[in-house]
Amino acid sequence: MFELELQQVSHQFSHDELLKNVSLQIRKGEKWVLIGPSGQGKTTLLKTLAGILAPTEGRVLIQGQNLLALRGEKRDQLQRKMGMLFQKNALFDSLTVADNVAFPLRETTRLPESEIQRRVQFYLNSVGLEHVLHNFPDEISGGMQKRLGIARALALEPEIIFYDDPTAGLDPITSRKIIELILDLQKKNNSTLVAITNDMKRAYQMADRIGFVLRGNFILTGTVEETRQHSDQRVQQFIRGALQGPLTAGVS
Amino acid sequence: MFVDSIGLILIQAGKTLADFLGMLKETFQALFRPPFRVGLIIQHIEFIANRSVGIIVFCVSFAAMVTIMESSYHMKLVLQEDSLVPGFAALLILRELGSVLAALLLTSKIGAGITAEIGTMTVTEQIDALKMLSINPVQYLVVPRLIACILSGLALAVISNLVCLISAMGISVANLGMSTGSFLLAMNRFVIFQDLVFAIIKGGVFGAVIPLIACYWGFRCTAGAQGVGQATTRSVVTASVAIIVLDFVMSWIFAHFY
Repeated sequence: MFELELQQVSHQFSHDELLKNVSLQIRKGEKWVLIGPSGQGKTTLLKTLAGILAPTEGRVLIQGQNLLALRGEKRDQLQRKMGMLFQKNALFDSLTVADNVAFPLRETTRLPESEIQRRVQFYLNSVGLEHVLHNFPDEISGGMQKRLGIARALALEPEIIFYDDPTAGLDPITSRKIIELILDLQKKNNSTLVAITNDMKRAYQMADRIGFVLRGNFILTGTVEETRQHSDQRVQQFIRGALQGPLTAGVS
Repeated sequence: MFVDSIGLILIQAGKTLADFLGMLKETFQALFRPPFRVGLIIQHIEFIANRSVGIIVFCVSFAAMVTIMESSYHMKLVLQEDSLVPGFAALLILRELGSVLAALLLTSKIGAGITAEIGTMTVTEQIDALKMLSINPVQYLVVPRLIACILSGLALAVISNLVCLISAMGISVANLGMSTGSFLLAMNRFVIFQDLVFAIIKGGVFGAVIPLIACYWGFRCTAGAQGVGQATTRSVVTASVAIIVLDFVMSWIFAHFY
């Protein structure tokens, strides 16, 4: 049984086909990275995998179960096995740093407050935010907000974790630190990881396998080495950041 | 061409209505499903009622005073006397002015705020974050605001009507040369307890309409500052129109009980 599986998934919004007949299988503990030009379906694919977006066609299986067909407590249980860092962090701006991490624990578990506080301390320590517990998200830097998003995503100790562009807008050193943190936490929890990034250095640092998303189509490019050697010219142009090639043909 | 445009508008309106009814159904189901977030409801009541009462009292006082002055002017013009002004004005206040004006003020103050807040949550993916945490956004965001707004609407309708009547009495004493006793006596000839009950019911219904419409447009907010602005405008316009239409419908229904 695969940890995550898409079976011939398509997603249509209005007249736009955002995903076209995508199938993929991810094993437990694997680290997948999705790359591809902006606005071509990476986030839609990630949100479909996470069960936030319902596909127009096809099935999404999480640990062998069709999340969207489940109802009530069964669905909640399966959903809680997953965590996500959103592209814009999606921090609750009316809550403090500590309360952002405590929120999912208070809302979805019956843990005593002492245990909640212990976990809040632990995850905020893990991401180096123990000194800004009582600040609000807009009072901390972009890098800190990213780390807070990671801490909140991990607070429920998910088995599957999604990262939507975890290093967007960060400087190279902070980016590297964030990826090291993500990999440390993934190793510690043996979780399955799916991340989006357009920073190829960070993609190579993270990935067991890489997938390329282009105009709603999914191309599995393989391991880091296989991706580097991939025969598809569109993949080659993207990973090299070349101005000339099939991706920019016809674009002045 | 013109027929095509009308057709498209009707199709879009139909889709929006179907979408809204879907959210309404989901809200109704969530109303009776635990957890019941009493703390959040109290927090919203504080925000909706407590922070709106000042502006509502201020505005309805002036509206009531204008009603008295205009009624007096026109009555004197037609009947050469204005002793019936308190009765007519009190009826107008209780049947229409007190509840409708309070609701329209609540729409622009609270409805716009709810749409902007939920709209921002939508575009910054906070709604998706709630879904990811298996927290139903309708249950977490709409239900507490709905209950709080209904309770606040009921309370504000009472306050608004009482303030209107007191202001009307004040201006009648100060400007029309009436005594407090003659105002109350004249009012008593026209107004019955049922008028106050219907005014409170209207307050509750308007209180329900405001957060439902505000949340609906907040959830459908598109990205960017422009998106939030558009959603807020749509919310205030739709809720205001809905309040005026519902006011007519309820007045028509209540007329059968007199």
